[in-house]
Amino acid sequence: MNTLPFVDSATIEGELQRLWQETAETATGGEAVTRALTLNLIARATDLAMAERIGAVARELVTSHPNRTLLAICRPEETPPRIEAWVQANCLLSAPGVPQVCGEQISIDARGPVSAQIASLILALLAPDLPVVLWLPGPAPFDDPLLPRLRGVIDRLIIDSRDLAEPAGDLRRMAAFDRDPGTPPGGARRIALSDLGWAALTPWRELTAQFFDTRPLLPHLRRLDQVDIGYVPDGERLNPMPGLLIAGWLAACLDWTPLEEAVSVEGATLRLHLRRPAVGVGPRAIRLVTIIIAPVSAAAGAAPGLASLRLRALDGVSADFHVQRADEQGHILTSAEVAGHPPVRRLTRCVTPSLAEVMAAELRLLSRDAMFSAALQRAARFAAGLT
Amino acid sequence: MSDSVATPLENPLRAGLRLWRTPEPCIVVIFGASGDLTSRKLVPALYNLARERRLPGGFSVVGFARREWDDAAFRQVLLEAVNANSRARPVEAALWASFAEGIFYHRASFDDPAGYARLAERLAAIDAARDTGGNRVFYLATPPEAYPEIVAQLGAHGLNRSPGGGWTRIIIEKPFGRDLESARDLNRRVLAVFDERQVYRIDHYLGKETVQNLLVFRFANGIFEPIWNRRYVDHAQITVAESLGVEDRGGYYDRAGALRDMIQNHLTQLLTLTAMEPPVAYDADAVRDEKVKVLRAIRPIAPAEVERLTVRGQYGPGSVSGRPMRGYRDERGVAPDSQTETYVALKFFIENWRWAGVPFYLRSGKALPRRVSEIAILFRRVPTLLFADTPVNEIEPNVLAIRIQPDEGITLKFSSKVPGQAQIRPVTMDFRYGTSFGVASPEAYERLLLDCMLGDSTLFTRRDEVEASWALLTPILEGWAAGPPQDFPNYEAGAWGPAAADAFIARDGRAWRRL
Repeated sequence: MNTLPFVDSATIEGELQRLWQETAETATGGEAVTRALTLNLIARATDLAMAERIGAVARELVTSHPNRTLLAICRPEETPPRIEAWVQANCLLSAPGVPQVCGEQISIDARGPVSAQIASLILALLAPDLPVVLWLPGPAPFDDPLLPRLRGVIDRLIIDSRDLAEPAGDLRRMAAFDRDPGTPPGGARRIALSDLGWAALTPWRELTAQFFDTRPLLPHLRRLDQVDIGYVPDGERLNPMPGLLIAGWLAACLDWTPLEEAVSVEGATLRLHLRRPAVGVGPRAIRLVTIIIAPVSAAAGAAPGLASLRLRALDGVSADFHVQRADEQGHILTSAEVAGHPPVRRLTRCVTPSLAEVMAAELRLLSRDAMFSAALQRAARFAAGLT
Repeated sequence: MSDSVATPLENPLRAGLRLWRTPEPCIVVIFGASGDLTSRKLVPALYNLARERRLPGGFSVVGFARREWDDAAFRQVLLEAVNANSRARPVEAALWASFAEGIFYHRASFDDPAGYARLAERLAAIDAARDTGGNRVFYLATPPEAYPEIVAQLGAHGLNRSPGGGWTRIIIEKPFGRDLESARDLNRRVLAVFDERQVYRIDHYLGKETVQNLLVFRFANGIFEPIWNRRYVDHAQITVAESLGVEDRGGYYDRAGALRDMIQNHLTQLLTLTAMEPPVAYDADAVRDEKVKVLRAIRPIAPAEVERLTVRGQYGPGSVSGRPMRGYRDERGVAPDSQTETYVALKFFIENWRWAGVPFYLRSGKALPRRVSEIAILFRRVPTLLFADTPVNEIEPNVLAIRIQPDEGITLKFSSKVPGQAQIRPVTMDFRYGTSFGVASPEAYERLLLDCMLGDSTLFTRRDEVEASWALLTPILEGWAAGPPQDFPNYEAGAWGPAAADAFIARDGRAWRRL
């Protein structure tokens, strides 16, 4: 049996202490360095490039959520088997006269079969009495061996639905996790699920909702017949996930229920068939709503993701509400054209947030996002029709 | 309907955690559109709100002023103003083009009835073209002398009510009156035309994040409220210090002075938020009810007491931050023998169960060494000496300081042992907005304009509040007027006020905080 370079939590804690002592001693200009921790962020990388990307996000997060980042680089296929760890302070560049605020990062690189031990090391290194967030980027978060081992201590699991390998199947796994995250029975805590793909849809939801903050236009929200959702594919890969989540969101908010044959597929185009409560024609009357999710052609270099969201009432008084990308410089055009009203168009700004910004927004949430849960459950029902 | 607060829209797409309500499309009519406030604060704030998707499509601005501009010229002026003053610079051309489509200029003088008749037609036309639904905000950004005329003209032309089920609100800038009588008179004139719930008296201090955080700090944390009273608090110091002189506002300032310009509004607001009881709900009337109770509980300073309970100052020549500054009496628009105070310190007692016997020291001045606003709660000292080498009066009392500007945050000072020695030294625990949340706080005007458009008047001053504050301060003005002339100037620009202010607090065995 090979002797492994042994890294234990006490050694790492000792290194951290030495790091802060040195930082305090070398602080220049007499300015204090403030160590601040508001949460534990466990992030898993599967290679060094991913580790580098996560490290960059962790450093940027210090501005909004100074934290202890536990970066686990799990490389079970690599040799020779060994565990290495190192610590660093993640500091904000500070203005003169203002104390510097720093979080800290512990990186653990585990190669070979020993990577199975990494969870036990992480458990010993959590800063006490702070929320614990597990971030699993990549295509298969629910198959990650860290998840079952850390399930008992985490408050939030962060994934990115845009990266998932199997949108249809994965949506259902997300929904199943959200319904029952498998927290030990009797525990007061319930793990919240965060999806960075859902977070990226917030500006679209916001701009859509804004149309109906107007008193005369609000009634049209209950009269919609057709929704067209266009998205820019990720290279060759069709990923209708954002469209399905938006469809789930509308269905949850507006009480739309899927028909028995809820989904039809024509090439790359998905059609969702739902019914909505009818307005003003008796309590049991229903109307049909069609949601069409289709890829759109876009300029080379266009960012993947939602490109257009159009809500229409076609029966009776026509109403057409449209939110669409105006260019690739982060501008969105909104227009409302309703019979009897002047058309209202305006351009607004909607720069795609960086990964760190989306993470920061998720970490601001203290509880579960009930609207996400509702949208996710419905999106998963649509996804069931795709298989 | 004149206001929609009672029936907020129930937009089902707003359900959930993250979506903030946007106001209904409306027209903001700015009186005094060629003025400094419009260029420096109002239009940059509106542009930022539009840029951050907080305003609806159709949102429009109408500038009302006498200058000979047209829509294009006004848009150009505002573009330059936003480029110079917005926190998001430079302006994005495509965004500005879309925002500017909703900007219009209306040339008229404030006392010309025909100008208001044309304004009504213009607003109706904008409603029809941009679907603004008859919703209007009138913003009085003019010299206060023009307020009564504008309000009367709006009433005379039916502009106090909206056509077609929309709402109409009016924002009135400070100063709201110059004493109790004039404030009452202005209230009477305004309320003869508008309902109180349509009136938004603005004090931009209430739009600052830290000021709002004061209520969150007090009422969302369990550990501070139990000690927030006369048993534990020795006294409070509220400071609003400005390093600038009167700049080009000499003409206005010489008729106002620090008491009217700062104490009556900003410092009184800070005082009431610090001292108020928990409101029964976080809504406009519940919060303002409690603030008014504080004002009513303050023991008024009678004219005969002003020499004992207040200190006045006026700055002479000196230097601030390494730059020479001329004396107040040398400023443009200021009388050479001016008796106007540029510094005030005073002491209030709030006579209720929570605060009886606890002095609240307020001070504000111009040409002070630095610009800083803070509320400091100084707690009682420990009752007895336990550590042999440190006399009890050398152990500094605990201080909770809430900084409003610059560098918004909260600091708690407590005593700690020096490592390896038997000495005790004060250390501070610091919370800074900038470092804990990492996002730039929105400008106060952004928050307040948005609140007004949403029909939320919590952060605006109510009629009884403004009158209660004048009722407290008017006797001080009268006492000063009746007394002998002051030996002004009595502090150098760049000093922390007159020596008399230090003696004033020292008489109570206390000292001003070094800021």
